[in-house]
Amino acid sequence: MSRTTSYPQTMPPTRPELASDGPEARRTRWTELATSADHKDIGRILVAASFGSIFLAALELLLTRLQLAVPENVFLKGVTFDRLLSVYGETAIFLIALPLVIGLLYYVVPLQIGSRTTAIPRVGQIGLWLFIFGGILLYGSFLFTPPEAGINPLPPFSDATFTPNNGVDVWIASTGLVTLGLLMVSIDLLATLHNLRAPGMAWRRAPLFTWAGAIVTWLFMIIAPIFLAAISMLLIDRLYDGGFFAGDAGGSPILWQHLSYLFFTGVYMAVSITFLAAIGEIVQTFTGRELPRKSVIWSFVTIAIVGTLAWTQNMLTAPIPSGWKYYGMLMALALIVPFGLIFYNLITTVSASDFHMRAPLRFALGALSLASIGLAAEIAQSTIAVATQLSETYDAWAATHFALIGFVVFGGFAAVTYWYPKMTGHQLNEDRAAKSFGLMFAGTLIAVLPLFAAGVAGQVTDSYRYFSYEDVEVYNVIAAVGTVILFVGVILAVGNLVKSRTEEPVATPDPYRGDSLEWLALSPPPAHNFDVLPDVRSTRPMRDIREAIIRRDTETAEAERAAQPVA
Amino acid sequence: MSLFISVAGALFAFALNASPAMALSLNPDAASPGIKDSNTLHWILFIVIVAVIVVVNLAILRAARPRTRAVSPKPGKSISQVKLAIGLGVFALALFVVATIFSDKSREIPAVNSVPVAGQIKGEPLEITATGSQWLWRFDYPNGAFSYRRLIVPAGVTVKLDLVSTDVVHGWNVPELTGKAQAVPGSTSYLYFRADDVGTYTNRSSVFSGQGYDTMEIEVDVVPPAAYEKAIEVLKSDIQRAQDKVELEFRISQKKSEVAAAHADKMEADINKADIESADSK
Repeated sequence: MSRTTSYPQTMPPTRPELASDGPEARRTRWTELATSADHKDIGRILVAASFGSIFLAALELLLTRLQLAVPENVFLKGVTFDRLLSVYGETAIFLIALPLVIGLLYYVVPLQIGSRTTAIPRVGQIGLWLFIFGGILLYGSFLFTPPEAGINPLPPFSDATFTPNNGVDVWIASTGLVTLGLLMVSIDLLATLHNLRAPGMAWRRAPLFTWAGAIVTWLFMIIAPIFLAAISMLLIDRLYDGGFFAGDAGGSPILWQHLSYLFFTGVYMAVSITFLAAIGEIVQTFTGRELPRKSVIWSFVTIAIVGTLAWTQNMLTAPIPSGWKYYGMLMALALIVPFGLIFYNLITTVSASDFHMRAPLRFALGALSLASIGLAAEIAQSTIAVATQLSETYDAWAATHFALIGFVVFGGFAAVTYWYPKMTGHQLNEDRAAKSFGLMFAGTLIAVLPLFAAGVAGQVTDSYRYFSYEDVEVYNVIAAVGTVILFVGVILAVGNLVKSRTEEPVATPDPYRGDSLEWLALSPPPAHNFDVLPDVRSTRPMRDIREAIIRRDTETAEAERAAQPVA
Repeated sequence: MSLFISVAGALFAFALNASPAMALSLNPDAASPGIKDSNTLHWILFIVIVAVIVVVNLAILRAARPRTRAVSPKPGKSISQVKLAIGLGVFALALFVVATIFSDKSREIPAVNSVPVAGQIKGEPLEITATGSQWLWRFDYPNGAFSYRRLIVPAGVTVKLDLVSTDVVHGWNVPELTGKAQAVPGSTSYLYFRADDVGTYTNRSSVFSGQGYDTMEIEVDVVPPAAYEKAIEVLKSDIQRAQDKVELEFRISQKKSEVAAAHADKMEADINKADIESADSK
């Protein structure tokens, strides 16, 4: 029997007893959006900013890869390359990964826990504006001096002695504003999670993405202050003659590496947890099966703790006691257990089920595929004997990029296409999504796979050119071609998100028959989210509500039939 | 369906890419005993990683297969999560043990040569200091000679390399002999190696250090011990000659300025004398 591939375009009319429209807006849409303290508006702005930044980062990556396409290229000047590279690194971490993680959580989690608002909305609003100023500052710096001290500006190179222009100050200020802003948003989210859950929404019934929200915000509460402290120390070193990171003044340059890698590793783990949880929600919804909750949630907790404690995995070539190195190796290899469990559960659940392939699931499986390559390659990067050979080469670069492009870009598109009807009130064009997915997937593979070989051949990162004697030209040419394909795919995918908002039919509140409470609210939800706060009695509250409605309707029909005269 | 094609294409592209990677092993011309252990570990991990990637992606491919008929709704036999976690833990622990064994071996100090070369204390490794500065490496040998960019080491002799930096963090990067290590200002890191074969290894620094980073080359020349002794003697005498030359030039210029000053004094005196005489005659 051939299964139909069409999906329902219309749904029964909205259930008036469950949700209704909010009050009419009194001001223009833009004014409403800019002055809003609503978690949905803030979340949408953060997600939109993140997708805008994906375009910028793809452009910067394209320029740097074109420069590296042939040896001894003169397409870009050295300093221009350094600036593009530094801005690319900051964009990828602070303007794509973090706002996408925090923005999605901030939008979805209050809806999932059946809350009408967040606990301290003004804090979230301040956070949003700090983030926006941070982003504007970074890209505004192209008008004077953008950062040029590398993706991670290691002191003493980033000290005022060796980088006297204000590029590093811009890096410090913009990462500081972004981190502080997103920290405030996560404080609001954490307060909401602990105080405003719907009646019956115990932690044991909370959806996976809510659990990810709790774990990621707690993790961010720990790592973000560490990073803020580190950049404050760097700022004091630069502007007020401090000696925190100056080796000759009693400070330690290694301290910066410890603090910054603790933060960056934590961000890596936060990103992995969030998008694995989003993929988990997608898999549960489209297959109609529940993942083993205990196993998945404990895996998230383990990734957060063990993964962040594996920060010395990045410092295997630094002059630190070798105990730290074996410890980093152990922690990094221990991550095989939680990641393996989650991957196993996700893949076998999809494999054993019946489903229509739709855009969110397609992106989700693509994310798992790419991330599996990156995470597996990290195994080699985390052993001391191989890391002394391969770290700081394009092998390390490729491993990180597979994991992060897999999770952030593909996982991000999966999550955003999944919640797209909820966020915009419109359906997403599936054909365009499938085409852009194919381009992006092929582009990523062609752009990043050859760089493993370039790294094994010894090509070092962060250099604006390489020489023909290094014999790595063929890999870089393939990578440049792949980056062009990836760039086109990203443009099409982001364009699809923009176009579908006006061109596609209106979405119903529950287009996929999801199990968590965000599908109870209208699409898009009114300002107060829910008219009636649901009473949660299981891990699948929406299924309970659907069943209750069906039961009530049959009961009513039977009662009416019974009341009819027989003749 | 598009996912299916993409993943199939991915595996094909991976196979294409893997073949050159297979052809070039991590370090075809590994020349130090420790690096050979690194290479062995890399081969083991390479096979493990490729196996993991292939298994996971085939599973994803199978999961994404187009459904032509309904999948049976009853769940298949599922593995207990605890057993699975224990299995993965054993796998991770096995990798850790293997990695630790090879990492320890690769970090072992090679056996010290019995016949010491010039400047080497018997039974101790030959100590050479490598100093990173923006954007040039300097090497100081035991006899006081030094060289820039190009390090000369004797073959078959265990060398202790002291890594220091005068300004920023530099990445020492000679994968064939020592692997990578950071030279951090304010602290010294040590590397031990023994180059067994004669040869030349050219590489670049690996930690971003600014505008001249791309040109910060390291060339290591491994030469026979006798040639090494001769080379550093030549270096020393060259340096001494250059020093002598500078001294000589300095002395000549000093002499010249003394002569010139004396000449000027004499001329001034003459002029003064002439002035006085003309004043007297008036």
